[in-house]
Amino acid sequence: MIRVEGIHKYFGTLHVLRGISLDVEKGEAVVVIGPSGSGKSTLLRCINLLVEPDEGRVFLEGTQVNRADIRREWVRQQVGMVFQSFNLFTHLTALQNVMLGLTQVKGISKDVAATKARQLLARVGLAAKEHAYPAQLSGGQQQRVAIARALAMDPKAMLFDEPTSALDPEYIREVLDVMTALAREGMTMIVVTHEMGFASSVASRILFMDTGMIIEEGTPDKIFHHPEHERTRSFVDKILR
Amino acid sequence: MDTAAPARTERPRARLVTPTTALRGAEIAAGATLAILFFQEFLQFSLFDPNLWLAYGPIFLGGLGGTIRFILLVIPISVILGFFLGWARISLHRVLVWPVTMFVDFFRGMPPLVLVIFAFLFGDDLIPQAIKDRLLAGIPLRVVSVTAAALAIAFHSAAYQAEIFRAGFQSVPMGQLEAAQALGMKPWQAMRWVVLPQTFRLSLPPLGNELAVVIKDTSLLAAVAGGEIVSRSQNFAGTLSISGYPVEWLFAIWTAVAISYFAATFTVTRLLLVLERRFHTPGLEAVSI
Repeated sequence: MIRVEGIHKYFGTLHVLRGISLDVEKGEAVVVIGPSGSGKSTLLRCINLLVEPDEGRVFLEGTQVNRADIRREWVRQQVGMVFQSFNLFTHLTALQNVMLGLTQVKGISKDVAATKARQLLARVGLAAKEHAYPAQLSGGQQQRVAIARALAMDPKAMLFDEPTSALDPEYIREVLDVMTALAREGMTMIVVTHEMGFASSVASRILFMDTGMIIEEGTPDKIFHHPEHERTRSFVDKILR
Repeated sequence: MDTAAPARTERPRARLVTPTTALRGAEIAAGATLAILFFQEFLQFSLFDPNLWLAYGPIFLGGLGGTIRFILLVIPISVILGFFLGWARISLHRVLVWPVTMFVDFFRGMPPLVLVIFAFLFGDDLIPQAIKDRLLAGIPLRVVSVTAAALAIAFHSAAYQAEIFRAGFQSVPMGQLEAAQALGMKPWQAMRWVVLPQTFRLSLPPLGNELAVVIKDTSLLAAVAGGEIVSRSQNFAGTLSISGYPVEWLFAIWTAVAISYFAATFTVTRLLLVLERRFHTPGLEAVSI
């Protein structure tokens, strides 16, 4: 589904990604963990080409997408993204946030888009909030709208960039529940998160990243309880306390 | 195509006259009446003297018409120019940023009065002869020069408005653009549907302020006898004693001019306030000055 081959990324002199390779099967949920600055976010952004890798190749369903003749907008339509800071469109209501991509990017009529958007809001449990502006929603509600907005494009895969890190503790559960349901329905997902409960129950694989490299990968049980590398062990000790 | 439309109709309509503005209007009217009565009693105030209006009325109306025409010329030009200059200043194209920054720095650094005089005297020389021959043939030099002076005011204001719009653009967080891109929007779509609507809302309050300033700045055209209300009233006032009119009229004439400017700025700032309320969005409030 998603394959990444030897990508490197530099920000100026900073070598953020140092030869990352990754293969994600259809329907798989992969969780990425690692200390801040390890390149997790940049890796996600290289997959939907919000960031262009300097070296290496990114494949989507077997097609290399970081080529000059592939439209970046097309790639991003195929892969939904959810951000740490939600990034809901401030001037639009919840419903309009979900509709905008449908009407403007997919060219779907407003009526059809509204119907679909309402279904998606209902799916994330926010049918009653369609007229609320982002500022009138809690963090958890905003993030669920953001998930609905990404799902509206019928993506083949979803990228989650620390979706619960900016949330107050009481709102984390509701967002993780939506993500868990999504994974159970077979959505291909790459999730950067430090929610260990979610990772253990949902992830088919966990990648541990540090200094722009994948240090170790394996099942949740292996990474959390029997890590091979010292760096993995010390990081896992810190987050499991 | 317009996704914002359905919710717009659901928003409560902002009204020009709300109970509070009506109350404030009544207060202003009461205060003004008291002040006028006071002056009439003690200074033989003549604002309501029919003889004044027989003589000054046509001049007042002609001047008011001139001022309104200058306002209608200067506001659209300055807003459109200011908007694109502000946009260009945040654009990634270095080629654009440089000349625009120079334009803004130059016009902000000039007193508008000096600009008016310069444009009146030398603005005509900046127009290529070919354009003069083709487009401006038959138009008197005076009209061209005064229009150049009015454009100088528009450019001066555009420099300030460029900064207002630049700040508006920069207040839209990068994450908004990123989210739009992540949905698969092309750069112009992200600009049209995500960035611009927010820039617009954030820029309205400071824009109202600046438009009030530029309306008053049109009075500087009196320095080149621009034919607006100040210069015409000045001419009339200067001939009062020669024409045998009472000198007390001076006070009434300039009161009428003052009220005209107040009415013009009040109308425009109110209209912007209506827009502001119409497009009010929770979480997108800019600080009103």
